[in-house]
Amino acid sequence: MKIISKQDFDAFINALIQDESLDVEGVKAKGDKFVFGPLDTATELRLDYDVTILPPKKYFLPQYETMMHFDISTGKATAPAMDTKKVIVGVHPYDLIAIQQMDKYFFDTNVDDIYLQKRKNSLLIGVMPAKASEKAFYGDLMKNAGTPELHFDLMVTDLGVLYAVLPGTPEGAQLLSRATSRDAQPQEIEAAKNKRQEAIDRATRGLKVGPKAWHSLLSNNYMSSIWKEMADQCLACGSCTLVCPTCFCYDVNDEVGLDLNTGVRTRTWDGCLLRDFTKVAPGEIFREDIVERYRHRINRKGKYLPESMGFVACVGCGRCSSQCVPDIADPVNLINKLAEATMDTIPDTNMGHVPEKSDLGIIASDSLYIPRTATIRRMMKLTKTETFFEIGLDDGQPLGHVPGQFVEVSIYGVGEAPISVSSPPGGNTFQLIVRNVGDLTNKLHSLSEGDKIGIRGPFGTGFDTEGMRGKNILFIGGGLGIVPMRSLIKYVLNNRADYGKVMILYGCKDPSELLFKDEISQWENTPGVEMHRTVDTCAEGENWDGQVGVITTIMPMVTFDPLNTIAVVVGPPIMYRFVNRDLLNMGMPEENIIVSLERRMKCGVGKCGHCQINGIYVCKEGPVFNYKDIKDEPEAFS
Amino acid sequence: MKPKVAFFDFASCEGCQLQVVNLEEAILDVLALVDIVSFREAMKEHSDDYDIAIIEGSIARPIDIDRIKKIREQASILITIGACAHLGGVQRLGNQWDAEANKVEVYERHPGSEITKGDSNPYFAQIKHRAVSEIVKVDAAIPGCPIDSNEFGKVLVALLTGKKLPIPDYPVCVECKKNENICVFETGGFCMGPVARAGCGAPCPTHGGECEACRGYVDHPHTQAHGEVLKKYGLSPDDIMTKRTMYNYRDFEDKGGD
Ligand SMILES: Cc1cc2nc3c(=O)[nH]c(=O)nc-3n(C[C@H](O)[C@H](O)[C@H](O)COP(=O)(O)OP(=O)(O)OC[C@H]3O[C@@H](n4cnc5c(N)ncnc54)[C@H](O)[C@@H]3O)c2cc1C
Ligand code: SF4
Ligand code: SF4
Ligand code: SF4
Ligand code: SF4
Ligand code: SF4
Ligand code: FES
Repeated sequence: MKIISKQDFDAFINALIQDESLDVEGVKAKGDKFVFGPLDTATELRLDYDVTILPPKKYFLPQYETMMHFDISTGKATAPAMDTKKVIVGVHPYDLIAIQQMDKYFFDTNVDDIYLQKRKNSLLIGVMPAKASEKAFYGDLMKNAGTPELHFDLMVTDLGVLYAVLPGTPEGAQLLSRATSRDAQPQEIEAAKNKRQEAIDRATRGLKVGPKAWHSLLSNNYMSSIWKEMADQCLACGSCTLVCPTCFCYDVNDEVGLDLNTGVRTRTWDGCLLRDFTKVAPGEIFREDIVERYRHRINRKGKYLPESMGFVACVGCGRCSSQCVPDIADPVNLINKLAEATMDTIPDTNMGHVPEKSDLGIIASDSLYIPRTATIRRMMKLTKTETFFEIGLDDGQPLGHVPGQFVEVSIYGVGEAPISVSSPPGGNTFQLIVRNVGDLTNKLHSLSEGDKIGIRGPFGTGFDTEGMRGKNILFIGGGLGIVPMRSLIKYVLNNRADYGKVMILYGCKDPSELLFKDEISQWENTPGVEMHRTVDTCAEGENWDGQVGVITTIMPMVTFDPLNTIAVVVGPPIMYRFVNRDLLNMGMPEENIIVSLERRMKCGVGKCGHCQINGIYVCKEGPVFNYKDIKDEPEAFS
Repeated sequence: MKPKVAFFDFASCEGCQLQVVNLEEAILDVLALVDIVSFREAMKEHSDDYDIAIIEGSIARPIDIDRIKKIREQASILITIGACAHLGGVQRLGNQWDAEANKVEVYERHPGSEITKGDSNPYFAQIKHRAVSEIVKVDAAIPGCPIDSNEFGKVLVALLTGKKLPIPDYPVCVECKKNENICVFETGGFCMGPVARAGCGAPCPTHGGECEACRGYVDHPHTQAHGEVLKKYGLSPDDIMTKRTMYNYRDFEDKGGD
């Protein structure tokens, strides 16, 4: 630990500001509040602040961020230029913890290279809070729970006339070597420690249940009437998520200039309290009711992210509560309300919100977001609204997918959409079947053979073809559900000897919507394949030799040993409830039912947050699920 | 062939057309995309041969109805610009009184005001103020008072490339928070931001004002919860009414108020 006089500290900051190679950002006053912003001089710096309006997450996941520049005519995209190296001065420990959470989230499974680049390109100078804001409760989260290991480059503690400065990384130490300083004496180290303790003690508001126990509290109270009582007052304004240092969800948009050719793909903060966050093309909104959205936010913090990431996604900064106009966003108030209602008080459950120190040495293998170019090799209109596309990647590589996975199809200037791969693995091309319902899909339908598109992926989990080996397979597909299923059907038929009896039940609205007519008659005539098809309605005089009625009406037409059969069910949300109920009634064990679920998707790689079913990221952990694993998620089949 | 565009103004302050003129350099890019054949605020020529009609202003007189219907017949795409055309504008507040009373209020004190009396002079004959979409089909409404030039460009691009309109359905608070503003409610003001449709970039709270919801409401405004907030922060029922109807008297009328 070093000691720097306040004067020398100012000189140090001013020297950094003078350094052309650095962009120095720090806490400044805005009215009677504080914000992080570019520093012109050290005197602007307000290390005595309580809390900033927005957290420093804006430096790593900016409110509006260019992901790439594109040129439609050449089909090329380029990553944005690297920013000047940032030094961010005055980050409070709770915000450092939030950045650690962000690191963990954006580095998990698929490393977000855009985030990583910004993160690596910044130095963090922390400061011990000299004041606590009225709503802060980070002290409650840490009380009697030891010292968290924080990731910072330098940590500053105000000792009155002097600053104690502790380097946390070699880069931090190097930066500090630019300042006039001396080694700290034992009593100064002790004083800094006391200041830290004071800071924690100051920010307490009587939270009744520690963060580690939020999980059980929230699990037990999912149906509590408190959610509705609070949500009735909610404006659905999104403020609580936008200002939160541990809310990371974003939307992606393509913006084209007036030249109709060049543009940018951008991401911008989105949030689960907003109504269209879960809206999909036909207009369905998965979390339409405000109470579902209001409940989701707190559950994400206290239950879902602890399950998937291992940390409680709240650091006690108090921003959400101070910026929620009807004052219903405060986690302390909500947790205490739930605790009082259930008379749960669970002591000694603090921390749990501090992930291990981040490893910024991590390497992003590829650009996560810039698609590979591909060519439409073959196009064929299947029905009024569905078209078949055969796609080849321009680098000549096979896609390398397994049945059940999807790709993100990208068209610059329009956007991206997740589309299932409908062909079986193997070969240098792959097939998609697309229904035109909105911007991307309409545009795709207007293209011709030879045109270029972008492809990211394959993404998501596929079907467990190994685990199905030796079993009978019962395929139940509704509407477009046949599309991803076709990949598996073809795979199974190509490896016929590995599987038992194959039964295919396929239903759609009316005969004109039937896909793959030729292949279906082929399947019908394949020995060892039992195929039945049905339509919901068939107009008088229409040519149809299948059944009429919803899909469940043809289920009794097949006989199978439920214990030795795997049912693969893919269709519109409403179908699952009825089909799964009937399968269970037939004696099929839950773990023999495999489903593929659809939710709004933007990133496809587990970052943007749109596809969540409760805490499950469908793009990453699905879209294929074992019914047994997903059935208890209240949002899965509701 | 570039589509031909004509601008028309109805009851308005012409501030929205000014915003288009204010595109400055970008106007050249716009001119590369479309031919402007009629634009009273920026040019002398006028033509009745156009594909895209851009309408500013509310429908205030019987002759306006005829005119907007003719324009609709000619135009393959009809775009409205601004709150007047979109919602009826602040002038719609006049719908609280009858037309004759309004005329008295406005013109009585002036010499020559006799010509305004009754319905005989078509330039002064009044109906209740209406938004354009209440009379004819509107293909795209660019909201705002005035419109944002940037958004005008974006809507044009979307229309020309066949994309959905880039007009968000979330409240102004979203953009306000992204601008890192101190909330108006914390400084003693009253804000319509939580129910107002974003897309403007929240200029009013960003520059120390209150949002008046000039862009109309989001599709599902939480009006009741917002009303509770206004009340809690000390606004009287009358003031709440005034706040809500400044730009959104249409919403009040649509819900059966008169
Ligand atoms: C795992 C998965 C596999 C899919 N497979 C197929 C397929 O094989 N064939 C097919 O025709 N459709 C498929 N869909 C649905 C398809 O993704 C949507 O129809 C498509 O995103 C609509 O995009 P749009 O731009 O045309 O519509 P818009 O309404 O303009 O949508 C805008 C954006 O919202 C998101 N979005 C909208 N609807 C959906 C949706 N239903 N699901 C996910 N994101 C959505 C997308 O990011 C989209 O770009 C699949 C969806 C998922 C989640
Ligand atoms: S939930 Fe609220 S208190 Fe917790 S980190 Fe987010 S903004 Fe801060
Ligand atoms: S909880 Fe509060 S801040 Fe969050 S959306 Fe509702 S009203 Fe807005
Ligand atoms: S919307 Fe506002 S700026 Fe536009 S014309 Fe009407 S009054 Fe003027
Ligand atoms: S100032 Fe208005 S728009 Fe901004 S957050 Fe507050 S209520 Fe919302
Ligand atoms: S902030 Fe409100 S009043 Fe201001 S432009 Fe936007 S919608 Fe209109
Ligand atoms: S997290 Fe972005 S689509 Fe799943």
